[in-house]
Amino acid sequence: MRFWCGKGNRMEIKSYEDLSGLEIDTLKEIGSIGTGNAATALSQMIGKEVRITLPEVRIMGYNEAIEWIGGPEAITAGVLSQLGGEINGIMLSVQQMDFINLVLSNVLGRSVADFNMLQEMQISTLVEVGNIMISTFINALSGLADISIKLTVPAFAVDMQGAILTVPMAAYGGQSDYIMTIGGNFVCDNRQVPCRLLLSPDIRSLNFLLRKLGVMDE
Amino acid sequence: MNDKLIVGIADMKMAGDGEKLITYALGSCIGICLYEPRLKLAALVHIMLPLNMETGRKNAFKYADTGIRTTLREMELKGAQRAAITAKIAGGARMFEVSGGSLGNIGKRNSESVHQILRMEKIRLVWEDVGGTIARTMEFDSATGNGTIRSYGHPEIKF
Repeated sequence: MRFWCGKGNRMEIKSYEDLSGLEIDTLKEIGSIGTGNAATALSQMIGKEVRITLPEVRIMGYNEAIEWIGGPEAITAGVLSQLGGEINGIMLSVQQMDFINLVLSNVLGRSVADFNMLQEMQISTLVEVGNIMISTFINALSGLADISIKLTVPAFAVDMQGAILTVPMAAYGGQSDYIMTIGGNFVCDNRQVPCRLLLSPDIRSLNFLLRKLGVMDE
Repeated sequence: MNDKLIVGIADMKMAGDGEKLITYALGSCIGICLYEPRLKLAALVHIMLPLNMETGRKNAFKYADTGIRTTLREMELKGAQRAAITAKIAGGARMFEVSGGSLGNIGKRNSESVHQILRMEKIRLVWEDVGGTIARTMEFDSATGNGTIRSYGHPEIKF
């Protein structure tokens, strides 16, 4: 259901699924610019050309989101930062094995065969790469919307990706039965790199962001 | 070997006749196995948050309180005796060491809430594997009331 107020301006959304086509397009644009900047940063770190695929804005049910990321039990690495300041949210860099080896072989000159072979040096490299990608994305967003966003120190985990993806779900689960992700995929050496950069804002922040971008009137 | 019934996030399924239930990748979420031995009736609930404060309360199984209570009611409708039902739980981990905020302790709050609700509903908690920093996949067999926990990089646990 849509709600309209006095001058034909839409009121705040109450749930992710209330977003209009124009609003979704705006968020895709943010995803595109954010991911594009992150790709440039990644490209500089690994010394290879990195392009991005079309950005996606997805509003998914919990179990749908788990299937979309590739099933609950696959092991992945996750770098997570919480957004604070004018908007709240969670940003995740979900790194699958091929991405990890792309980074490690180009930065440290050695790849690994399995997640359990990751040692301190490799882990801090992955955290740093995740952190730089997240920060570049957020800097672009913050410049675009003219808002100040603080990021927490990144946290790192290697585990079943279902449990990693439920972190943003649980954080905003009291507000919605859906998770919203803004993000894109990277392409390097003509291959899709299995790394997703996902931004999940809470509903209040999403309203604030859309107003700041001039899509939703005050 | 028949297929296992998959319990999603914020979901519950019941099983009998030797069917098996499974729920994947419990992080801060908690899997609650409820069992009535006389009927060999098993239920597995996968909750995500401690308390249901939502208006409308559409999704009971998302929360520990409404999730456990709704499941107990549905088990009773199938003829289960409340006093005979026992509980086994797993999950409530902390996946990321995040400084500050409520994000880091959702698992702990879930665990506290599940304990409290079980106590209030007078359900005996006979086994638990909660907390820590690892994800758990939980499998539950209605034939025996026993199950297993699978985690990455850790040996399987039987319960």
